[in-house]
Amino acid sequence: MRLLITALMVLVNFILQTTLLHMFAIRGVLPNTALIIAVSYALLRGSREGAFVGIGAGLLQDIFFGSTLGAYALLYAVLAVLFGRSQRDFYRENYLLPVLFCSIAACLCEGAVYMAGFVFQGTGNLLYFLFQVMLPEMVYTAVITVPIYRILFGVNDWLELKEKYKYRLF
Amino acid sequence: MQQFLERHKKHIIRAVTLVLVIVAVAASWKNINATLLESAIGVVVTPFQDLTTGISSWVNTSITSAREKRDLKTENEELKTQIADLLAENKRLSLYDEENKRLSALLDIAQRYPELESTGTSVIAKDPGVWYDVFTIDKGTKDQMTANMVLIAPEGLVGKVLESGLTYSSAQSILDSRSSVPAMSLRTGDLGVVKGSYTLLNEGLCTMEYIDGEAEIMVGDEIVTSHLSDIYPAGIPIGKVAELETDPNGLTKYAIIEPFVDLKHLTTILAVSKGSSGETIQLENQTEDTP
Repeated sequence: MRLLITALMVLVNFILQTTLLHMFAIRGVLPNTALIIAVSYALLRGSREGAFVGIGAGLLQDIFFGSTLGAYALLYAVLAVLFGRSQRDFYRENYLLPVLFCSIAACLCEGAVYMAGFVFQGTGNLLYFLFQVMLPEMVYTAVITVPIYRILFGVNDWLELKEKYKYRLF
Repeated sequence: MQQFLERHKKHIIRAVTLVLVIVAVAASWKNINATLLESAIGVVVTPFQDLTTGISSWVNTSITSAREKRDLKTENEELKTQIADLLAENKRLSLYDEENKRLSALLDIAQRYPELESTGTSVIAKDPGVWYDVFTIDKGTKDQMTANMVLIAPEGLVGKVLESGLTYSSAQSILDSRSSVPAMSLRTGDLGVVKGSYTLLNEGLCTMEYIDGEAEIMVGDEIVTSHLSDIYPAGIPIGKVAELETDPNGLTKYAIIEPFVDLKHLTTILAVSKGSSGETIQLENQTEDTP
């Protein structure tokens, strides 16, 4: 059940992210909703499950748009593991930490792509990266995280309630 | 006198009746005015008649107007739904019109390059990232799409196919920083390479690099694909020069190119595969444009 719903969420997010979300681009910058979902999931359920969500979302992006299969999958998985470690240490009802973490994760993700794709090829443009990509994306991600985290939190609560009920039966 | 009347009662009545009939007939013919008595009666009666008629007509009209109101309301609703239907229809037709224009433009370019095999296709998804300009199109190996097929819009070059799945292909536009297209200036024949740049991607511009330092290329020159490529057929328009700068080394120039195609709002494009007859087109173009 959980697997099915999570897979469905990742898939629906991918479809919306690549088609509809382009309408909401601000100066070409879009919030990376796949990363937001992976990190939020890691914060709600821990590193391991977050990593799997990250791998799923990343693989979809790699298959359709990437030049190297697995690059985004690895990146999202690593970020999910990194931020999932704090799952035990904070209250899930609090919105501040997910917003902060997703924002930082988006920043790290863009930084990694920038480093791998451009700096090592000698075409890095640090000012462009900082002010045209990183800052707007951090802000936009922070804003978009709130509704997405709210939805994930609700779905997760519902699933955990169902699972608890199932476990009590046996 | 009494006796006379008793005896001739019948005659008198007949005579009076006859007179009355004659008078009535005469009156109806001559259309004389009402007499004083009639007028007096009329003065008393007509206001009441007026009143009753007024009341009855008022009742009548108010009933009919209420009914009419109801009718009008339903009619209004009907008309409104009809208008909505017509508007929807109109919108649908204008969409068809747009599509028709786009497709006939594509047909135009398909006929311009008759030697090349071509397939119409449309963009279905775009890369969500900010660094690259990759998109998915709705034709795959099922429709004979293969990697390195060239994508053209009515205005000019769009990019090339990176890889093909069964029902989709992912494609790279000329704005992508991994893309490089051998190009030349149509007016002077100066060669260069059109490359994407992630800093210009957002504004829909790209650069043309490795132009010879002494080339006579100018702002506003039209840039087309050159014959030096294995992938791109020669002579496809790319864009025009918006800015021209000299590289720091002083030996080469680079230009900022404004593509003819609005690459941010792509919908329908044409995929062509470079055939063996690509050379002839290039030669025709050169002979036309070199003088």
